Amino acid sequence: MEFKDYYQVLGVATGATADEIKKAFRKLARQYHPDVSKEPDAEQRMAQVNEAYTVLSDPEKRAAYDALGAQAAAQGARSGGEFRPPPHWDAGFAFSDASRPYEGADHGQYSDFFEQLFGQAARAQRRQGAPSGGAQRGADQHARIELDIADAYHGGMRTIHLRTAHLDAGGHVVPEQRSLEVKIPKGMREGQLIRLAGQGNPGLGGAPAGDLFLDVLFRPDPRWRAEGRDIYKPLLLAPWEAALGASVEVQTPAGSLEVTVPAGSHAGRKLRLKGRGIPSSTPGDLYLELGIALPPADTDTARAAWAALGKAFPHFNPRQAQAAQGA
Amino acid sequence: MPHAFHTPAQLGELLDDATLTLEELARACCRAPEWVSERVEAGVLETTPSTSPAAGLVTWRFSSATLVRARRVAQLEATFDADPYLAAMTTDLMEEVARLRRRLRHLEEGTPTAQQGR
Repeated sequence: MEFKDYYQVLGVATGATADEIKKAFRKLARQYHPDVSKEPDAEQRMAQVNEAYTVLSDPEKRAAYDALGAQAAAQGARSGGEFRPPPHWDAGFAFSDASRPYEGADHGQYSDFFEQLFGQAARAQRRQGAPSGGAQRGADQHARIELDIADAYHGGMRTIHLRTAHLDAGGHVVPEQRSLEVKIPKGMREGQLIRLAGQGNPGLGGAPAGDLFLDVLFRPDPRWRAEGRDIYKPLLLAPWEAALGASVEVQTPAGSLEVTVPAGSHAGRKLRLKGRGIPSSTPGDLYLELGIALPPADTDTARAAWAALGKAFPHFNPRQAQAAQGA
Repeated sequence: MPHAFHTPAQLGELLDDATLTLEELARACCRAPEWVSERVEAGVLETTPSTSPAAGLVTWRFSSATLVRARRVAQLEATFDADPYLAAMTTDLMEEVARLRRRLRHLEEGTPTAQQGR
């Protein structure tokens, strides 16, 4: 496996004090926080920073890691080269049996290097045969999943890929990439979570596995957008359709609909189609946001038609109407 | 090279407004249940009261949105040794920024650029 230089990740010297490590971590956490950062790889960088800090902020893990780093340097693998830790590399360090179920960063975002040395499966490997090794439920995992709004109407099937680790028959830690097919139930809205019970990290000592939580995001679509269970769709009308009313065909995430546009409609008006939003026991509504498209005046006939329209409304002044509205 | 294997299709469960128990929420945030109850009592996290018909007891239930929020608060507290109220205020601002960015994106997508005359 590839050796990870956690000091380099945090940008500190190998002899950095605990305070220097904490300051470097906070600075990077602010820089790469996925909810704030504009960096394209912020999420990935944040995961690396979290992993480095998990090791370097724990005195026992750091001491074991430093000892390992010296061995890596001897193998010439310190800077990202192929590295194999010697057996019992962590002998004498107390973190092996330390179980801190309520602390630490999210599970499931660590590198293979971390998983094999410090991960849950690695701890289990070190505890094998130890009388104190009790059962421990697997950690929950979290992942994001991008779906189309149409999936919220019909449900769908997605394959997601997860990284984790498990113990093989010989008790060795094996990093694994897991493909999981997920049946997406219909009716989900953005920000809602989908739970897959027992699909998180495996438990230790016969304890159950954790759960997998999928955070739903809708793929941007110029045709429509969702707000909660309501769907908003822009609908362009010809001027005469808006003025006289019309029956128009509208494409929605649920399929095609025939909609009656009332006479006297104007741009910016919203037409509500009750219950045509995302399905649920109380389904959302579908809002058509009306806009008016003007035919081009690019031929003599078209220009004459526009001029005739102008003559038909000699007193129509849209600026006056605007002024009357206080705009 | 990571070992790869495939699991048959699993049906996901949609977490509605009042699905998660206190213990489930705590576990999904890698925190103790007391951490959650302290923040509910402080008004940092919202809960939906739910009455168990068998025992007539009122228990707390939590929504997806609360889980996402609780994980943000937990992460901010841990990363910056932040006071829970400060972490909650930062989370409020993050949620507001996300909402406004979404709104801005929709407005930018929906607003045609005006042609300027001579």
